[in-house]
Amino acid sequence: IVARTITTFIDCDTKQRRCRHWGDGPAGAQPEDHCSPHLKSAREVLCVSGSDLQRVTGLSSSDVQQLLIAAATSCRRHHPIAALVLHRKFDAGLRLSVGCPVLNQLLRGGLLVGGVTELSGESGAGKTQLALQLCLSVQYPTQYGGLHSGAVYICTEDSFPIKRLQQLITDQSLLRSDVPPSLISSLQFSDRIYIEHVADLDSLQVCLSRRVPLLLTRGLVRLLVVDSLAALFRSEFQAADWLERSKQLLTFSSTLHHLSSRFTTPVLCINQVTDFLSSSDDSLGPLSSSVSPALGLLWANQVMVRLMMRRLQVTVAQGDQSSVLRRLEVVFAPHLARSGRDAAVWREGVRGVMREVEMSQWRGSEEGGGGGPHFCLTNKETNGCK
Amino acid sequence: MQRSVSSLSLSPSVKVKLVNAGFQFTADLLHVKPLQLSKETSLSQLEALEVLQAVRGETGGGDNGAGGGGGGGGASSSLTALELLQKEEELRSIVTFSSQLDAALGGGLPVGKTTEICGAPGVGKTQLCLQLAVDVQVPQCFGGVGGQVVYIDTEGSFLLQRVVDIATAAVQHCSLLVEDDEQQVAMATFTVETILSNTFLVRCHDYVELLAELHLLPDFLSNHPKVRLLVIDSVAFPFRQHFDDLSQRTRLLNGLAQQLISMATSHKIAVLMTNQMTTRLRGGQSQQVPALGESWGHAATIRLLLHWAGPQRLANVFKSPNHMGATVRYQITSEGFRDVDQSEQPPSKRARKHTVQMAAAREPSET
Repeated sequence: IVARTITTFIDCDTKQRRCRHWGDGPAGAQPEDHCSPHLKSAREVLCVSGSDLQRVTGLSSSDVQQLLIAAATSCRRHHPIAALVLHRKFDAGLRLSVGCPVLNQLLRGGLLVGGVTELSGESGAGKTQLALQLCLSVQYPTQYGGLHSGAVYICTEDSFPIKRLQQLITDQSLLRSDVPPSLISSLQFSDRIYIEHVADLDSLQVCLSRRVPLLLTRGLVRLLVVDSLAALFRSEFQAADWLERSKQLLTFSSTLHHLSSRFTTPVLCINQVTDFLSSSDDSLGPLSSSVSPALGLLWANQVMVRLMMRRLQVTVAQGDQSSVLRRLEVVFAPHLARSGRDAAVWREGVRGVMREVEMSQWRGSEEGGGGGPHFCLTNKETNGCK
Repeated sequence: MQRSVSSLSLSPSVKVKLVNAGFQFTADLLHVKPLQLSKETSLSQLEALEVLQAVRGETGGGDNGAGGGGGGGGASSSLTALELLQKEEELRSIVTFSSQLDAALGGGLPVGKTTEICGAPGVGKTQLCLQLAVDVQVPQCFGGVGGQVVYIDTEGSFLLQRVVDIATAAVQHCSLLVEDDEQQVAMATFTVETILSNTFLVRCHDYVELLAELHLLPDFLSNHPKVRLLVIDSVAFPFRQHFDDLSQRTRLLNGLAQQLISMATSHKIAVLMTNQMTTRLRGGQSQQVPALGESWGHAATIRLLLHWAGPQRLANVFKSPNHMGATVRYQITSEGFRDVDQSEQPPSKRARKHTVQMAAAREPSET
């Protein structure tokens, strides 16, 4: 066989063994001739086309096919599985409860455990409140909608609202009337929430590549919250740096996806909003307010479930507390309809408020859920109770 | 055939080259293509063709098309256009539950061709894929194809909760159409459980896993001849991760497109792919275009663009060899992908009797 001029050899013996293990090599050929130093792994072999492989390794086309199939078999995680097998697994349809039966009904059980959920809204809409509630709800056992583990909370802008967290912990038994009080008092909530402060993208990348995987591997956490990501990506880049920004955004989102799928962990990203520039910019569907989530189409393509929270012009009262009413809406999700529920923020947390028409629909459906106290809705304009 | 190559009527230099390359007997040459032969023996293509003709002439049997074909010369004989037309008409299209979309596509999703769905996030691409994954399993006596489906999920958006919704609605829809015993028997094999068992799911986490799966798919398809649909949701997601070398991405996508087209024609399956949208700046104006570049536009035979127009959802067939571009309205309900007007006709290629229309009219009041 003709000797080729190959520039550098790195440990040709191991490549020889690797080539033989892959089952190629016609008899009589020299091993060096079909191992190029550039193909070091099965993944790289798959990224080269069949004819390029032939040229580089000098194998015949049927041998190249065999090589490709062997490389593909080693890269593949599992055979095609019938969906029925997945349906019958015990953790099919696992969800992280939000802590309120009304909001859980909107989300058909709660947050998805695989994939990125985005929660966007104006400042003061209640996004951080909902995120804190999720950090507590993840610590309950699975029968109460939790994942029996802690949470990682990554703050990028303000400092972590520790006083509010303490308040929520104190009043947990009020919010979660479905959980026995003995269980609530036995859980050390604040011990299992890990707070990270990151000020720029580099430290965010370090945090996501080192500290968070460590916590996830040890099983200490099963919820990742990033509050808020628009702050990092907007401030650091000028308008002309959009290429660099896109690259960073894609790297960040791919890290999130890998973490989420490897550890079956829900990821919640809190996002800010930006105004609509023109009425023709409705490519992402009709929105009920004049603002849309920041970071544009590139980020929207990476998100699986998009939720929006906005303040309404209505106040609602409960006992001695009063709260501005919010609306939590599903913008898109693979398994959810585009609808929303009103919610109010109380001392004990975020609780959904059912409107009359939604209540009658809910009574008609099979599951009623736990149900918290119902509220009287005072409308400022009509000054009456709904 | 243990006949030695040296006994063939060829020039001596050619024989020497053949023997040096390892082809001792005519049996070695039986299943070799001319291009492959010329590469391995460093013969010219013309000489390689002559050698193969001599071998096939000597063995007496062989393929009719080998002499006529150029570089191809495989085992298939050439077909006339009439035969191709007859073959195409035998393959039924996959009927969706949206008659307007079926009309725009010319009868449904064509089997044997590649189709691409582009759209912004949240417009309904995954919903249409899930709907078709259920619709391909509708039994033949109801006008469906009665096949299985391989669903390659790269984003994680294949949620069983939603699939069960769509499957339940489809089973209910068909059970209202039952008119005779044959359909009654077929309904026993068309339940939510059988729909789930006939859907083969693969979860790919990056583009290498996707490429690996596509290399191994022809084997799987040969072992499962009832598969009629391959869904890849979505092709864009793993390929829009950061690539240092964009030309490598284009090469990989071209290779992928070729593989999908050859799988569609050789195994007689419909291939459905999902693509994302990206913004392109052109002369100071930005517009949304399908992602993955211009050359990817040639990969699919038929391209559908799903988009919003105010509160309405529209589907636009903007590339199709058979039919001119049409735009139809659709909606996504709890039952799946449907037409907008409620009086949609249930999918059936048989003559409609008035009992069927009564069943369709009964439906809205039952929900």
